[in-house]
Amino acid sequence: MTPTLDITKDVCPMTFVKVKMGLGKIPPAGKLTVLLAEDALKDVISSLKQEGHRVSGVSRQESAFLIVVEKEGERP
Amino acid sequence: MNIDDYKELKKGGMMRQKEAGRFSVRLHIVGGDLSAEQLRAICDAAEKFGRGTVHLTARQGVEIPNVPTESLAAVKEFLGTTGVGVGVCGPTVRTVTACQGCRVCPSGVIDAPELALAVDREFYGQPVPHKFKVGISGCANNCLKAEENDIGIKGWIEPRWGGKACTFCGICAAVCPSKAIEVSPDQAVVSVSLAGCIGCGDCIESCPTRAMGEGNRGYRLYAGGKFGRVPLLGRKILRILCSPEEVMAAVRSVIEFYRAEGRSRERFGDTLMRTGFDALESRIAVRTGGAP
Repeated sequence: MTPTLDITKDVCPMTFVKVKMGLGKIPPAGKLTVLLAEDALKDVISSLKQEGHRVSGVSRQESAFLIVVEKEGERP
Repeated sequence: MNIDDYKELKKGGMMRQKEAGRFSVRLHIVGGDLSAEQLRAICDAAEKFGRGTVHLTARQGVEIPNVPTESLAAVKEFLGTTGVGVGVCGPTVRTVTACQGCRVCPSGVIDAPELALAVDREFYGQPVPHKFKVGISGCANNCLKAEENDIGIKGWIEPRWGGKACTFCGICAAVCPSKAIEVSPDQAVVSVSLAGCIGCGDCIESCPTRAMGEGNRGYRLYAGGKFGRVPLLGRKILRILCSPEEVMAAVRSVIEFYRAEGRSRERFGDTLMRTGFDALESRIAVRTGGAP
């Protein structure tokens, strides 16, 4: 099952740090679901893109967004 | 007063103080950039010729206060060896302000310090009807307050939506600070109102699929801003300019326009209130070959 990380109550830079730590716990090409507030979208998604990860899904959850992140790398 | 000190006084940049026989010596600084060697020389000059203090001005400048009349030529000579010149006052083009731009700041879109040097080289101290200020912000965050200046320049990224990769997730619309994006999944369209766009590029950075890409990247110009007793915010002029050469041509035309139309001691913003901004834009378009 894809782990879900809720960072809706965090502010920058903890949003970015928690996502990075979350991705550290999953294998390359694995998936992590992140629930985040609108304010965090730009910084989190741009840093994910910069590091080669992919956002493969987006859905709205009331005032927040749920994104599916695919970690960079080849499946082990 | 000897003849050399008198000559320095006439050139300007020496601000007469309330205390008789003392001057605050304004220095020529571009975009707030000084080398450590220049800073040391300024400290030495403040101790040698002033009372050991410096004043940081509102527009990235430095002044050495409390310099006596008989030291005005000497302080200039002392600082001149490190490349720090004496500043200007009166109806001239003043200090060009700039942020650290794209070479230092992660948000930077344009090389603000480099452009500031170019504007300074061509226009600093040049005569105009009244004081004239140029300020350059590297991006839409606008730390250097472009709209407060007679000419303000901002780094700008205009988005362009390419439909193929778009999943209509709505993130671009959610992050847009000016709400200039509308996502219509039913019609499979994302529309960007360029009139409302503030050029920040947040939609491009946030797009998970890179469907929102860069359209134009460059320089946005504002004209007629000022602070002082009766503040005015500068207004956006022209299309996005794409090179420093285009910007310099536009700045040249704006200053020519001000010289032709501005009355003595009339700030540029007040001139534009009289002539209208259209008069300025059509003049620039003719000069630079660019449509407004």
